[in-house]
Amino acid sequence: MLARALCGTVFGLDGVRVEVEADIADGLPGFHIVGLGDRALQEARERVKIAINNSGFEFPGRRVTVNLAPAQLPKEGTGFDLAIAAAVVNAALDRRLPSDAAWLGELALDGAVRPIRGTLAITAHLDRLGVRRFYVPSANVAEARIATAAPVLGVDHLRDLKAHWEDGAPLTEAARAAADVVSPVSILIDLADVRGQPHAKRALEVAAAGAHHLLLVGPPGAGKTLLARALPGILPGLTQQEAVEVTSIASCVGMLPPGAGLLEVPPFRAPHHTISPAALVGGGGAAPRPGEVTRAHRGVLFMDEITEFRRDALESLRQPLEEGKLAVARTRGHAVLPGRFILVAAANPCPCGFAGDPKRFCECTPLERQRYRARLSGPIRDRIDLQVTVPRQAAGELLRAEVVAENSATVRDRVIQARARQHARRPQGPLNGALSGTQLRKDAALDANSQVLLETAADRLQLSGRAVHRVLRVARTIADLDHRPQIEQSHVAEALQYRESG
Amino acid sequence: MAEDPLPDPPHKGEGDRRESTVWLTDPTYPWLLKQIHDPPPRLFVRGRLPPVPMIAIVGSRRATPYGCRAAHRLARDLSDAGVVVVSGLARGIDAAAHRGALEGGTPTVAVMATGLDRIYPPEHGELATGIAASGALITEAEEGTLPLPGRFPVRNRIISGLSLGVVVVEAAERSGALITARMAAEQGREVFCVPGSIENPLAIGGHRLIKDGAKLVQTVEDVLDEFADLAHARARAHARTHARTRTRTRADSGPQDPELFAVWELLDWVEPRHHDDLAVMMNLDSKEVSRRLTLLEMSGYIIGDCGAVTRRARD
Repeated sequence: MLARALCGTVFGLDGVRVEVEADIADGLPGFHIVGLGDRALQEARERVKIAINNSGFEFPGRRVTVNLAPAQLPKEGTGFDLAIAAAVVNAALDRRLPSDAAWLGELALDGAVRPIRGTLAITAHLDRLGVRRFYVPSANVAEARIATAAPVLGVDHLRDLKAHWEDGAPLTEAARAAADVVSPVSILIDLADVRGQPHAKRALEVAAAGAHHLLLVGPPGAGKTLLARALPGILPGLTQQEAVEVTSIASCVGMLPPGAGLLEVPPFRAPHHTISPAALVGGGGAAPRPGEVTRAHRGVLFMDEITEFRRDALESLRQPLEEGKLAVARTRGHAVLPGRFILVAAANPCPCGFAGDPKRFCECTPLERQRYRARLSGPIRDRIDLQVTVPRQAAGELLRAEVVAENSATVRDRVIQARARQHARRPQGPLNGALSGTQLRKDAALDANSQVLLETAADRLQLSGRAVHRVLRVARTIADLDHRPQIEQSHVAEALQYRESG
Repeated sequence: MAEDPLPDPPHKGEGDRRESTVWLTDPTYPWLLKQIHDPPPRLFVRGRLPPVPMIAIVGSRRATPYGCRAAHRLARDLSDAGVVVVSGLARGIDAAAHRGALEGGTPTVAVMATGLDRIYPPEHGELATGIAASGALITEAEEGTLPLPGRFPVRNRIISGLSLGVVVVEAAERSGALITARMAAEQGREVFCVPGSIENPLAIGGHRLIKDGAKLVQTVEDVLDEFADLAHARARAHARTHARTRTRTRADSGPQDPELFAVWELLDWVEPRHHDDLAVMMNLDSKEVSRRLTLLEMSGYIIGDCGAVTRRARD
């Protein structure tokens, strides 16, 4: 007696079709799972067996063999439980399961169906392969519906499937109403809540408009973290396609809250500085696993105390900063993971944190300061277009009523318009923050006045070629914010204030 | 200091690394240094000891930007006038003085507390090479001598001993610069001081020197006026000052553009002011402040540093 049930798993961030075959044969009673499963999958034997017995079925007292095909693909996790149970129960009943239905879910010992990771990616893949009916845990229904127009049925308990399997009774889409959960609105910092700091706020606006990476330099307690947290709120909302990417990534790494549907707010990730390179850019075990860089895809990666990060972790950022994605190779295969984000880095001006502070005395020697700055290597600095100094706020300043405090919505409107100008110029991208030298020559033409200003600045400040490119990229964005087709002198002048300073 | 040009000391190597040992009895031994009560019996020299009048500039290692600018400018002007600037190769004021002197037309001399093979602080290796290329690094310590704390005060007597006078720029209450000034006084040399802000703890030592009779220095002429023998240098300094007068008055009265003037007016020569403060004080948005600051900076009216700006000092 043989039965097959379709399900799927995730490799990297892509869905993969997995077929579960269950065979029940004469012989000593036993339960074997083959097909390169990891430990969690081997333990499925106990979960599935007990869940079946606790749900009104009887686990067959014969030799049960389950194969997961393709057998050479390494399989991880617990998402196969429901499909294994479906195949075993139906093999025992000697019934065939429809070949265009997929079963996703982890089983509890009492037969309840628990949510799994990667539902969105798996559903999308199986939908392309022609699967027309999805049985998923109720908590994953909303995300599965994003990926397919086919019926998605939420399953709460293995018991619910008894009548369906034993008598062929149709399973109604009863779970649908309960599953339409609205995505949680993340708590964001509004720019209006950040006191003072007009220079840094403007830099945030420019960063958002052109997708430029940003470095905030300031003493401890100056409000760098607060400013960084305000950035997602002034980014344009995600497009449908971007939202699907972001939701799918969140689902694959298990960050999607149960019941959540499409995530529409750009992600904000703030890894701690002790993070390993593998956790930052992806890697991990035998199979490629997405890191913080991928979790921040289409959003903001905030690296507080960036000089304290491990050197190898920082250097591993080079590829994603350069290309917006990264290739991760592991023993069991390799994957290309997306990682296009805005980097907001924060650092103290020197080891003691008080350099440039008019009120406090910096204790560091020039050598210490130079070493401290050198921890952020040239290739990383080259990708950071904007640098601003965030001064310590006097206590009186914090208490003073704000005169003009723009809220995030107003700034976001300007950002959206500036992005629209960039899309009109380059429909295929990239945004200004990723323009190459050649693209800059075409897009960032200077008028006579701004040409003179930039030449003077390059001479006086001894700007390198790369530094000039940074100024041009930023000036292009400032002109876009100003609704100007051409870069003017005032734009270059402002852009020069965001340059790297000693 | 009406001495004849002296013959070159005997050389050991070539280029920057030419080194020699000068004994107290040698005719090349600096005449002024010979006059102090405990002159070093021998000096190790890398480079060439310039046989022209010397003035020392000393001060704090943890100097403020103002102090460094003052030391730099004074050293450059002295060097332009044909005076050798002597200092101790330390961080802060010493380095600023050496760098300023290298911009002028006369060599500079660094007196080290360590052996010639150990440049201290290590980040001044390049500066030391620059000094030795035209002037000299000198020390009484043998090769391999480490920068031990006790060696610095001893070294200071050579700095003052070589010089006609010592200019103190920023010295805390108990500092090496004050030791040098005291030794200068004991050796019968002139003591000068560049004043600082009364709020600056690094100005306290120098201000006490002024109260005790040290001469307050604003320009290079304040130093040169004390030495009748340096009439020639004074004349050169005077001529250069006048050549600069036109640009100086322009820079002093601020930019012509009323928008830029409005910003410049709020700035200070010494205390930096942050971008954000200007935006609040002028009730302007940040991008407009940025624009004006860049234009001011590019036309040489202000200096920007880490988001804070000060007026550019007169040249």
